[in-house]
Amino acid sequence: MSDTPVSVPSGSAASVPDPSGLVVVAARPAVARARRRPPVGVLVAAGWLLVVLLTALILPLLPGCDPLRGDFTHPSAAPGPGHWFGTDANGRDLLYRTAAGARASFAVAALTVAVGLLVGGALGVAAGWFGGWTDRVIGFAADLLMSVPTLILVMIVVSLRGPGLPLIGCLIGAFTVPAFMRISRASVLSLTERGFVQAARMIGTSPLRILRREIVPHMAPVAVTFAFTATTIAIVAEGALSFLGFSLPPPAPTWGGIIAEGRTTLGSAPWISMVPATVLCLTVLAFNYLGEHLRSGAPTARTESTR
Amino acid sequence: MSARLLRRASLRVARAAAVLFTVALGAAALPRLMPGSPALAALGPGATPEQVAAYNDRVGMDENVLAALWQWLTDAVHGDLGRSLLNDVPVATELGDRIPVTLELFLTAQIVALAVAVPVALRSAWKPGGVFDRVATTGAFVVTAAPGFVLGLLLIYVAAVQMRVLPATGWVRFTDDPVENLRHLVLPALTLGLTEAAVFTRTLRVQLMDTLDQPYIAAARGRGMSTRRLLTRRALRPSSLPLVTLVGLGIGTSLGGSVLVETLFAVPGIGSLVATAIAGRDFPVLRAVIVVSAAGVVAATLAVDLLYRRLDPRIADARR
Repeated sequence: MSDTPVSVPSGSAASVPDPSGLVVVAARPAVARARRRPPVGVLVAAGWLLVVLLTALILPLLPGCDPLRGDFTHPSAAPGPGHWFGTDANGRDLLYRTAAGARASFAVAALTVAVGLLVGGALGVAAGWFGGWTDRVIGFAADLLMSVPTLILVMIVVSLRGPGLPLIGCLIGAFTVPAFMRISRASVLSLTERGFVQAARMIGTSPLRILRREIVPHMAPVAVTFAFTATTIAIVAEGALSFLGFSLPPPAPTWGGIIAEGRTTLGSAPWISMVPATVLCLTVLAFNYLGEHLRSGAPTARTESTR
Repeated sequence: MSARLLRRASLRVARAAAVLFTVALGAAALPRLMPGSPALAALGPGATPEQVAAYNDRVGMDENVLAALWQWLTDAVHGDLGRSLLNDVPVATELGDRIPVTLELFLTAQIVALAVAVPVALRSAWKPGGVFDRVATTGAFVVTAAPGFVLGLLLIYVAAVQMRVLPATGWVRFTDDPVENLRHLVLPALTLGLTEAAVFTRTLRVQLMDTLDQPYIAAARGRGMSTRRLLTRRALRPSSLPLVTLVGLGIGTSLGGSVLVETLFAVPGIGSLVATAIAGRDFPVLRAVIVVSAAGVVAATLAVDLLYRRLDPRIADARR
């Protein structure tokens, strides 16, 4: 939790004028050096996400990589040369199934972030900017959404309206709206006190222009950082839903669905559950790591009003 | 001063009541979310108009929503939450049977989480960047990445399938056999507890590091207070505020988590009741569970707020 103000440019303090007239250049701080080249962990995390994303996009398109086709000569085969990640009880290749399952997870995650960021961000800006009754009504709606059991409500709606990735993505997104709302509201509140916003106001800039040119660009880093958290929330929630059988119905591969299928053969063929579970955990870990890295660099929103 | 306090307290209670009322209204409207007629879907196309009317009456769809809600609320105050559509058992009886199970699980998980998080965070924060701190921080980071159902499956794999020391699924009531009850409790409680322990550790560590930078800690150290006393007596209490929030908010999210864990371990608590009720379109049960759980969240939020004031008297003045 760094508390550095946004406006201090890193490196401006590096040169100090010397009384003798010479300019003493201090050694570049470690932070600045680290920022030039990203640390190994960031490269590994980003690389992993890139591999998963590309595999999910490309592999199911290749001929012979059908996640639904069973190789009946090799049911429950252990990971090996023929099937790199092994096969499930019906001989379906786990690499292909996990790759296809990643599509569902990423689709839901993308939709969740889009809904959360746009709706939550807009509501937060409105609450912080207008205050008064707007703030109170939006705050009440957020309280409401946070008091209901999220996962259960998503399960109920999915079971009543029928499963589908757009619906699931929007529902999970709706439940991340309060968090996005609070974060953007807090940043707007702290930004409106800042000099450059007051100055813009004083020279008669229209409120809409202030919002667009001053407020939104400055709160974006904080909101985007939370988008990483929302991504992992969505992936975990989609996994939980499909694990419980509330996502795409059985033949369609989803990470949670494959993990659930492997439960009964945990003793004889643990890889059926473990392959998608490992990929899921590593993906969540990578998103968390990148989010954490961004957070340590980006200015944090003052959180005094989030209680 | 006290008039202002009273005013604020009553505002908070009114707000909480409004939240609860709206949740109850939404829960009453659940059957209407279903496309088509829930009655015909449940009873089959051959249902007589009388049967349809009886069904609509039981799920509260016969009159306008507000009148049905008022009826339901007055009944609920008298302890009548309606009857399950699946087995005709009164919902209140069902909840009374299952809440203790979920509560036992939840409380054990909290104890596990605190028993792990507090010592680890204390040791971590004492020497930030040390070997212990780095191992603990990395460990907590990895555990947070594992969702409950994956962690639970891993525990089943290790303890039940490989080592064969604990039962993988099932439940025995404490009153029937305390030892078996504990054996069945271990894995689900660990699953819930370890995930929370990771979050608790991370939060408490950051907060403790912040507290340990305060001048009064340096002063106490200068007077020769032992490390142990310093950490447990001086640093822990002011640092535990976010933890109180986490435990309080956990009550709300625990229901979702308990659906997963209770389904995975076949524990007959509220979570598995919800899973069956959703699959069977058991609207009276769902409605009751949603309202009761929202009431739990609202009560927990109020309790956290009160506890905050007890733990840190400065808040009462600072947040006028």
